[in-house]
Amino acid sequence: MAGDLESSKALSGLLSGLAQDAFHGHPGITEELLRSQLYPEVPPEEFRPFLAKMRGILKSIASADMDFNQLEAFLTAQTKKQGGIASDQAAVISKFWKSHKTKIRESLMNQSRWDSGLRGLSWRVDGKSQSRHSAQIHTPVAIVELEIGKSGQVSKSPVRMYCSYPTLHIGKLGHGKVM
Amino acid sequence: MEGSSEPLLDAKSKLLDFQWKLGMAVSSDSCRSLKYPYVAVMLKVADDSGQVKKKSFEMTIPQFQNFYRQFKEIAAVIETV
Repeated sequence: MAGDLESSKALSGLLSGLAQDAFHGHPGITEELLRSQLYPEVPPEEFRPFLAKMRGILKSIASADMDFNQLEAFLTAQTKKQGGIASDQAAVISKFWKSHKTKIRESLMNQSRWDSGLRGLSWRVDGKSQSRHSAQIHTPVAIVELEIGKSGQVSKSPVRMYCSYPTLHIGKLGHGKVM
Repeated sequence: MEGSSEPLLDAKSKLLDFQWKLGMAVSSDSCRSLKYPYVAVMLKVADDSGQVKKKSFEMTIPQFQNFYRQFKEIAAVIETV
């Protein structure tokens, strides 16, 4: 893998493909797809260990959520070790992580969210409303509709709830910044 | 998702209780250094028949800030009605 512009582009593309597969859950990114698209002249038996090495490096960087100091130290170590990477490859990886770090981290956070999330929130305030089952007139009332669901699944029907003026003070949240 | 079209009051549940928890996911199998703060919410609602149900969900901090902002707005509006 000579150090020229074309091989930098190919490695960049490879890292993108690996990230799509490993973090962003994009289906269908096979070894053969990556090889034929990015490294067509490289035979499969040579490509496979190369791909595994790059995948391992990217996963290590993402798993440790490396800052730029850690990244430089890590990549330098990779260039020095037996069967490691070339320094121009290290440069491509460094550039890739710096520009994709936030997005990858976001995907990793999403992967660790197993409970339902809040997909939507809409509300309105009614001045006066009357139920056909009850003679009571509720005034005033906030009607909130929450769409709750797990990622990748169709939401169940939304939770529609109402709360009148005093109840809203249950959720009286403290002042000051949250994180 | 804009406002719903004319839901009857009967079709809604009454909010009884709102519990929250601020958590920090430290590590996971896919990411050793996760450091992910989140807010988990547990709502208790009672439908028209009086049946009490619990609904729970999780929010990222930006989502929670938006959630909080919306409820602040609701509280402000409801005071003026």
